[in-house]
Amino acid sequence: MKVETKLFGGLSIFAILSAIFYGIMTGFTEWVGGLGLTLVAGLCGMIAFYLGYTGKRVGLRPEDRTNAEIHEGSGEQGHFSPWSWWPLVLGVACATAFFGMAVGFWIVYIAAGLAVIALVGWVFEYSRGDHAH
Amino acid sequence: MVSVGTVVWLSSELMFFAGLFAMYFTLRSTSAGLWADETAKHNVPYALVNTLVLVSSSFTCQMGVFAAERLQPRRAGSLLRFARWGMTEWFLVTFVLGAVFVAGQAAEYATLVSEHVSLSSNAYGSAFYITTGFHGLHVIGGLIAFLLIIGRGFAAKKFGHFEATSAIVVSYYWHFVDVVWIGLFLVIYILK
Repeated sequence: MKVETKLFGGLSIFAILSAIFYGIMTGFTEWVGGLGLTLVAGLCGMIAFYLGYTGKRVGLRPEDRTNAEIHEGSGEQGHFSPWSWWPLVLGVACATAFFGMAVGFWIVYIAAGLAVIALVGWVFEYSRGDHAH
Repeated sequence: MVSVGTVVWLSSELMFFAGLFAMYFTLRSTSAGLWADETAKHNVPYALVNTLVLVSSSFTCQMGVFAAERLQPRRAGSLLRFARWGMTEWFLVTFVLGAVFVAGQAAEYATLVSEHVSLSSNAYGSAFYITTGFHGLHVIGGLIAFLLIIGRGFAAKKFGHFEATSAIVVSYYWHFVDVVWIGLFLVIYILK
């Protein structure tokens, strides 16, 4: 993952330089921009560091090698949940909660209960029933 | 992939706290006198103890991650043999320490409100309660996550990479929340 690491590393350095330059231009009095840019550098730095660390751990993927064949990238890509209904339930619960904040706070409690059901259902979806292991 | 996604999300959470820090510093730069008066009311030793509680919870969390990585959900010896604890025992200790932190925050809020530092008292109150309050909500979210991960460990007859990966990413979140608190502590209680 060297390319991705370098990309985010470069962005991080650019953000730090921008933050320093921004600070100089505003006399280090404008905190929102200064902090924002510095922490954008943090964001990019975190991603760069983690991609580099993961890259070292998993080694070269077919995408990273110039002598790779297309068929080497075929097959199972990862564990996904293609038709789970739980995200919708959790989304409805959150929407209901904010609706309750606007219309009547008692609705928020109903939404909280629904959110607990949705969270537990989603987290344990692949640990129970047909997917129990 | 789960862990990369989690780290990307955590970096966006860093930006969320960036906004809160920016708000704190902007208000601070315009009300120096207010800051001096209000920060004098803080109980720094109390906050330091609470900080140490949260930092130690990060250590117990990491011990739980080591157990999860070697696919050990429950302890392999007596309750007193820490070296043989599984992910569940370590995460339960982490949960308790995190809950103690939240309780400590709540007690501190109660004390401060009685000294007229509240969310609506003045700009300092706003800044203090919004930053530490959102952090506290994140801690509570992390506590719920720990319970769910312990639950996943119990639900699995065979504790495998699926359960271990979940434990690892929750630990990433917890360490992040801890680091944010260290930043908040230094800014609010030390820098003042």
